[in-house]
Amino acid sequence: MQIFAAMLVAGGVLLSIDREAVATGAAPASAAYVTNQLGNSLSVVDLAAAKQVAEIPIGGKPAGIALSPDGGRAYVAAPESREVIAVDTAARTVVQRAPVGQGPLGIAVNPRSGAVYVADWYEHRLYALDPVSLQVVASVTTGQSPSGVAVTADGMTILTADRDSNQVSIIDAATFKVTGTIPTGERPFGVTIDEKAGRAYTANVASNSMTVLDLKARTRVADAPVGLRPYAVARAGDRLFVTNQHGESVSVLDAATFETVKTVRVGSFPEGIEADPAGSGVWVACWDSNTLERIDTQTLTVSARIAVGEGPRAFGRFLR
Amino acid sequence: MFGLVRALIALSVLLPFTAAEAHGPSRQKVVDTIEINAPADKVWAVVSNYKDFTWHPDIASSEATDGMEPEKTTRKLTFKKGGVVTDKLMAYDPDRKYISFMTAEVDLKMLPVSGYSSYFTVSPAGASTKLEWKGAFYRGYVNNNPPPELSDKAAVDAVTVFQRTGLEALKAKIENGS
Repeated sequence: MQIFAAMLVAGGVLLSIDREAVATGAAPASAAYVTNQLGNSLSVVDLAAAKQVAEIPIGGKPAGIALSPDGGRAYVAAPESREVIAVDTAARTVVQRAPVGQGPLGIAVNPRSGAVYVADWYEHRLYALDPVSLQVVASVTTGQSPSGVAVTADGMTILTADRDSNQVSIIDAATFKVTGTIPTGERPFGVTIDEKAGRAYTANVASNSMTVLDLKARTRVADAPVGLRPYAVARAGDRLFVTNQHGESVSVLDAATFETVKTVRVGSFPEGIEADPAGSGVWVACWDSNTLERIDTQTLTVSARIAVGEGPRAFGRFLR
Repeated sequence: MFGLVRALIALSVLLPFTAAEAHGPSRQKVVDTIEINAPADKVWAVVSNYKDFTWHPDIASSEATDGMEPEKTTRKLTFKKGGVVTDKLMAYDPDRKYISFMTAEVDLKMLPVSGYSSYFTVSPAGASTKLEWKGAFYRGYVNNNPPPELSDKAAVDAVTVFQRTGLEALKAKIENGS
């Protein structure tokens, strides 16, 4: 049965290569780690089987999520208990928890060094944590209420979406100093780096828009309208996918023109979103529907709807 | 120390309005439904009338701007207790019998919440009608370390009562034909 499922997945990837040059050649993600804020837990979802296989108690109203470079650890930020929690993804158990700041929310991992970065919503700071001890090793002041955090693939640059300053801060990972800021739309929440285009995108909750940033020039390139109170952005193929919390929808935009191609109806309060590395699907956590949903990037329709815990947010990179 | 805490609580009472955008870290949810012995169209006619929210027993008067345009039409709700809450129409879909609105400025003495969005869905249930009122909101205290009266729990408790009171009054109003 396992083999059969694996073959089906492999077949699906091959098929999408045939149909359109969207597939990346990368292996598809096998699992999702979804923070359930109201349920105080972390759902482990087997993506091939399309079902939740574990729900790990976490506590502290978990929201932010990131994975170590080898996928062996999931890091969860819990703003209520003011902790970062490390989960062993193989054993599906909590292996470490440590107090971090006053309102840890956004979290990301340096893909090269493994350092864990945590944004503090109330202290307006970004912390660097040792990935094993979870102790703070460096800290820097950002704009007001930093929320989303993203790191470039070379591990050299960190971005924070400073929600209440309407800007992105650019932080040098080596010196851990802010080297610049770029203005965005109103109340940017999620920030996503697009390595292929050398860009970053913010989802701006109050202006119902997405801002496009050029990372090399450090400029604001464009602002595109999306749906109601957008949360985060993902790129798959030549399209961008933006979750609209109050729109029960995901806006699909052309990554070159930023025109809306389609608005896909999904569950209620779609929030965390990440593209499968294989390019064939985009996964969305729906806070109100308690689901993790897959949008097929070919058909632009929902192709799977998986029950998870209560109040899923999955704010960050949650696919392994 | 207790003096300081008390002073901070006093300060929060002196500043009863929440900023329209800042909020706490966890969104809360309250979903309530009621069955009304009337056709869905009749229920929808009352629920969809954004201009008039006085069917809720806590509300003394409601004044809306013109139109029924999501993200544009706004409303000022004066509570019987004297405070004011403003909100904005967010969605209006007669085909689905679905309407939603979201608070902008909130007098925390009226409701200890911020960014409170309400979603009403009217659906036929046999000869009667099911009305769902879903609320998604943050606590009233936008900063860290909320005083008890502005905590997540206080927000959930208040919204639970607010929605239940409203649904029961709406049922009574419609079924009594007033």
